[in-house]
Order: sequence, then C-alpha cells, then structure tokens
Amino acid sequence: MKKNILVDKIMPPLVCISMLMALAAALLYAPTEKVMGDTQRIFYFHVPAAISAFICFFLVFIGSIQYLRTRYAHWDRLARCAAELGVLFGLIVLVTGPLWAKPIWGVYWRWEPRLTSMLIAFSIYVAYLMLRTQGASGGQTPRIASVLGIVAFINVPLVHYSVDLWAADQQLHPQRNVDLQPEMLYALYVCFAAFFLLLALLLRRRIELAKIEEAVEKMRQRLATGMDY
Amino acid sequence: MSFFSLLVLLVFNFSFELGGAALHEIGPGVLWSAFVFACLLGLNRSFADERENHSLDALLMAPGDRGAIYLGKMAANLIFLLAVELICLPFFALFFNLSPGFFILPLLGVLVLGSACLSAAGTLFAALSSTMRLRELLLPLLLLPIILPALISCVKATGLVLDNQFGPALYPHLKMLAVYAIVFVTLSLMLFEYAIEE
Repeated sequence: MKKNILVDKIMPPLVCISMLMALAAALLYAPTEKVMGDTQRIFYFHVPAAISAFICFFLVFIGSIQYLRTRYAHWDRLARCAAELGVLFGLIVLVTGPLWAKPIWGVYWRWEPRLTSMLIAFSIYVAYLMLRTQGASGGQTPRIASVLGIVAFINVPLVHYSVDLWAADQQLHPQRNVDLQPEMLYALYVCFAAFFLLLALLLRRRIELAKIEEAVEKMRQRLATGMDY
Repeated sequence: MSFFSLLVLLVFNFSFELGGAALHEIGPGVLWSAFVFACLLGLNRSFADERENHSLDALLMAPGDRGAIYLGKMAANLIFLLAVELICLPFFALFFNLSPGFFILPLLGVLVLGSACLSAAGTLFAALSSTMRLRELLLPLLLLPIILPALISCVKATGLVLDNQFGPALYPHLKMLAVYAIVFVTLSLMLFEYAIEE
C-alpha cells in the first residue's frame, strides 16, 4: 500500500512536468519543417496519441482474454477503463489529423486508407462503450463485452488490409519510413514519454474510480433490497 | 427479408436516381446495403425462438461442442441470406437494366463468399446481443463497424465483376473475403461458448 501512495504522489507532478517538456520540445526545440512549416508540429502530439490509442486497444484485448479465462473483476475493469481511454486518445488523433490536413491537403478529411481505418477502429470501440453502458440482463455485460473486446482487436488488422486494398491509389498519409532529423526524433521521443505517462496516470485513476463506482453500486443495491450491512 | 431488401433497392432508386451510367458506380453499394440490412433483420430473429421459449438452456445442456450450435446457426443464417440474394438479384437486374451475361457465375461466387463473411460475424454478434436489453438497437451498432472490412471488399469485387473484370484486380478482394470468413469462423468457434453461456 505504501508503494502505491508514493506512486500516486509522484505521478501527477511527473506527468505535468513531462507534458510541459513535450510542449517545449514540440513547439520550441524541434526545428521547423521545410515544406510544411509550423503545421508539422502537430505531428508530435498526433503520433503519440495514435500509439497510445492502440496501446489502449491492446489492453482491452488482454483484459478481455484474461477476464474470460479467470473471471476476476479487475481484468474486466482494466478492459473497460482502457476502452474509454482508447476512445479518448482516438478522438485526439481524429481531431489533430484534420487540423493538420486542412492547410496541407486543402481539406479536413480524405477517404484515405490510414484515416478510414482509424475511423473504423474508433467506431468499433465507441460501440463497445455503448454496449457497456446499455448493459445486459443479469450482470452478463462483462462477459459479452469481453467477447467483443477480443473480436474488435482481431478486427483491427483486417480493417487495415481491406482499407488498403480499397483505396491503394490514394495513399497520402505520411508513412512510417519518413526520414526525421535527429532533433525532430528527440522531440518525438519526449512526446512519446509524456503521452505514455499520461496514459498510465489516467488509466490508474480511472480504475480507482471504477472501483469506487462499483462499491457505490453494491451499497445502493443493498439499500434497495432492504438488507442491512 | 427479401421483401425488405426489395424495398431498400426501391428507396435507393429514388434517393439516387439510379440507372444507366450510375449503375456501375453505385450499383454494387446499393446491392450490398440492401443485403446487409436484410441480414440484420434475419440475425435479430435468429435467436428469438430460443429466447422466447427459453430453449437455449436445452441446447446448452445437449452433449457436444458449443461450436456445433454456432455452425448450425451460421449455416441457417447463410442459407437464408443466400435465398434473399437469389430472390433480389433478378429484381436488381430488372430495375437497373442489367443484361445477363457470363458475369453471373463469378457474381454468385462473390455473393457466396460475402454472405459467408456476413453470417460468420453476424451469428456471433446475434448470440452476443440476444441477452441484451436493447438488442435490436445494439446489434447493428456492434456489427456494422465489424463487418466493414468484408463489406468494402464485397462492394469492390461486385463492382469489378459487373464491369467484366475477372483478372488479377479481383483476386485480392476475394482473398480478403476468404481470410475474413476464415478468421471469423475460427474466432467464433473459440468464443461462442462464452457468448451464449447462461
């Protein structure tokens, strides 16, 4: 318990500092890109957010598998909280992307493979959250959501390949093999570190909150059935 | 289900003023939209009897693998969907002035593969949503984003076939559909026992 308190004390200021460092790295330290100018700087938040979203989706997958195997509530809690954060980071990606695209491509949105597959993956996890809030009868929601969590993650590469096939001639999104200057790379690493710390903190806090929510729900049910506790 | 698909074709006809040149551009999309909506209707019903008569428990008690229940349900959904498609296709050709030709054989191939994808994923999700409170609403919400990869390839492959292009352009889409169907049947066989557990 003592160790956890220490982590809780250290994490928020650490995230704060690393986020400020990430801002400084992206806006001040990184050199201006020759062709795109300052618009390119949004990339330092866009890419880490995208990777964080996929880490969240992977955590949903792991949590779902482990829940079906062991039936421990904490795995289900992990999957649920990670899905929420995945949607949050996905939203950051889908907002920063068009902001960059408008000056560079001239339009906010193109039906380009990378954009389309991110949008589809995002909508699958939104549907996952809707399933969680709507709920099944008799406390079966975690089991059903776990099956969906597994299917959704397996579906991500399928979406990727099919969308690539669909619009292979429209690849405009910058690819992974872009050459970055060393300074740009360092700035990107700082942003990665900041986003991963943020992800860890948010996930931890969200799981704590979920525990409290469950405890409240349990008390409410006890009160409703008139049992004393 | 067939009548519903025909109505969908009718609605699209009026909303897009189809026919003639537009056919090759949006015809496949219209056709598959109609099939997907019909499929959703059928899937919503596919576990209704078990739910209303509480006979799922009996099915679950039966000795044997849970995967067999999935395969049976999937086969039933597939046959229904194919029947709907076979009924709709002549009307599609009739409404949109499509003259019959050699393309019918490959088109049937695409239809079978595409329907296998729809029913493979659809049956698992029908089982999942059958215990939900808002199942009629949730099934399309959950299923549509999941079947999008298959749908994309279905529409592309159908478009190529209607354009009489059977060459190498078609194969990747057929391969995609086959992979999707195999992945989802395998995944469903593994997960089905968790999906219908009571």
